[in-house]
Amino acid sequence: MVDDGNCGKIVNMITAKELEHLAKLSRIKLTENDRESLVKEFDSILGYIDKLKKVNVLLDTSLRVGALRNVVKPDIVSGTNSEDRERLLREVPDREGDFIAVKKMIAQEGIDFKI
Amino acid sequence: MDISKLTIQKAHDDMANGKYTSVELTQSYLDEIAKKNGNVNAYLEIFDDALESAKVADEKIKDGKASLLTGIPCGIKDNILIQDRIASAGSKILENYHAAYDATVITKLKDEGVVFLGRTNMDEFAMGCSTETSAYGVTRNPHDLERVPGGSSGGSAAAVAMNGALFALGSDTGGSVRQPSSLCGVVGLKPTYGAVSRYGLIAMGSSLDQIGPIGKNISDCEIVFNAIRGKDSKDGTTIGDDAYAKKRVGKEKPAIGVPRHFLNGDGIDKNILESFEKALESFKVKGYEIKEIKLPNISRAIMVYYIIMPAEVSSNMARFDGVKYGLHKDGKDVIDDYFETRRAGFGREVTRRILLGTYVLSSGYYDAYYNRANVVRKMIIDDYAAVFDPSVGGVDIVATPTTASLAFKIGEKINDPVAMYLEDIFTVTANLTGLPAISIPCGFSDKEGTNLPLGLQLTARHGDEATLFEVGKDFLGEK
Repeated sequence: MVDDGNCGKIVNMITAKELEHLAKLSRIKLTENDRESLVKEFDSILGYIDKLKKVNVLLDTSLRVGALRNVVKPDIVSGTNSEDRERLLREVPDREGDFIAVKKMIAQEGIDFKI
Repeated sequence: MDISKLTIQKAHDDMANGKYTSVELTQSYLDEIAKKNGNVNAYLEIFDDALESAKVADEKIKDGKASLLTGIPCGIKDNILIQDRIASAGSKILENYHAAYDATVITKLKDEGVVFLGRTNMDEFAMGCSTETSAYGVTRNPHDLERVPGGSSGGSAAAVAMNGALFALGSDTGGSVRQPSSLCGVVGLKPTYGAVSRYGLIAMGSSLDQIGPIGKNISDCEIVFNAIRGKDSKDGTTIGDDAYAKKRVGKEKPAIGVPRHFLNGDGIDKNILESFEKALESFKVKGYEIKEIKLPNISRAIMVYYIIMPAEVSSNMARFDGVKYGLHKDGKDVIDDYFETRRAGFGREVTRRILLGTYVLSSGYYDAYYNRANVVRKMIIDDYAAVFDPSVGGVDIVATPTTASLAFKIGEKINDPVAMYLEDIFTVTANLTGLPAISIPCGFSDKEGTNLPLGLQLTARHGDEATLFEVGKDFLGEK
């Protein structure tokens, strides 16, 4: 909890609603209990890393990248074999032959994909 | 056979001289594991073909084709892929996942004829400093079973410390090889970023991760490092031997720098500071120059790490959706499947870090946290470059304790994330900068009646593991 000097009102660093939004973005289902304890934990974690905001820096893109450069290689398929393919496919939770089966993603009556 | 006194060189020589076979050596380790693993839980699984591999190694030894590592028994962290074996990364979401291929480090060790004893326990997806977040139970410190072995490579460090392996591989993203090595009284190395291929290492923070060896002494870590290092076409971030210019010339002893301004905090155990000063004294006696240095941004390293690492974690964990591999839980539709699968498969700490990473990367916060953290990361890199700069009388090694505290009791910090995160205070800089760093046992300290190990951490320039090994061997009196 952080006292933001707002007439003594104590606010959390993150609200349960914001946390729910993050959970939606991360595709993780949270229960009411999860949200409550996470809000508290985020308070202490964000309270700590928030100090970085006080560091006076120039948010210059070139400083960020520095001496980094991309390492590329030719886009060539080097070959596949049936053993390797089988090793990959045997891990598929819902397998149909050589295919990975997934549920329908096309819009249809009764399913609301609004996230 | 007293395996507690063995080194890789000695075991190699003994087997070359026919003193014992790899099968006998492997059986000794398996016997030790059978005695201790029930209590320590260093290993999640003992491989049923260990003795088979030992037999093959014995053939190689007989034919005179053995290398230093042939027939040497080791433990492998649960996030390093061995083809057809389970790699669960300490998580329920990969409980029955069988690896489709060998990690590059495994291919290299197989070529040497190493014997894999089993996979070692770890914090879930390498997120933690105590091995308490594993979905498969805690690992206990062999020096005191009520205490943590450190993490996330706690299983690997404990396996070596309990004489359940002659060496082990761990992974280090913020200290996960060095910190458990320190708490378990063994040697642990985090190589220069890019020195060891990450192909086949289940990714946590891709700009931070490195696989590193854990062993009883410096020479063993050096031998394993030399076997697993190398440029790899399958990992575009790997470097060759010539990537960094050799900056240390001449035969003089390396100069050691100490960032004293960072060692004044109340949060550092007095016993650790005492043993650290003793270590510096012993360096002075051996003729090393100790210099006080300034690393102006080092106090920000933890904040930077706990912004960048969760950001990379949130990206790397997105692949676990129950579609191509791993746990799958049904939801009401295709998207809901992801929500249910990830809820069921990920533990608390992993969920926490994914959410934190999503937060710092989300629109509206990206500049305030992630961009800022990257800029400060570069400042920390520059701080070290200045300190290592030979043209301004720089040092060759930076020395600090490895941890701020001794091994804590199981359960003591698990509900206090920030207290847990502060365990990394001395180790994260090596991951942020890519510099190589090693933790070396430097004695014991009595805590509540038990003797607990302490670690000294040395950091060197990029590509200069050689100086770490040289100074480490000198410190431990190793030939």
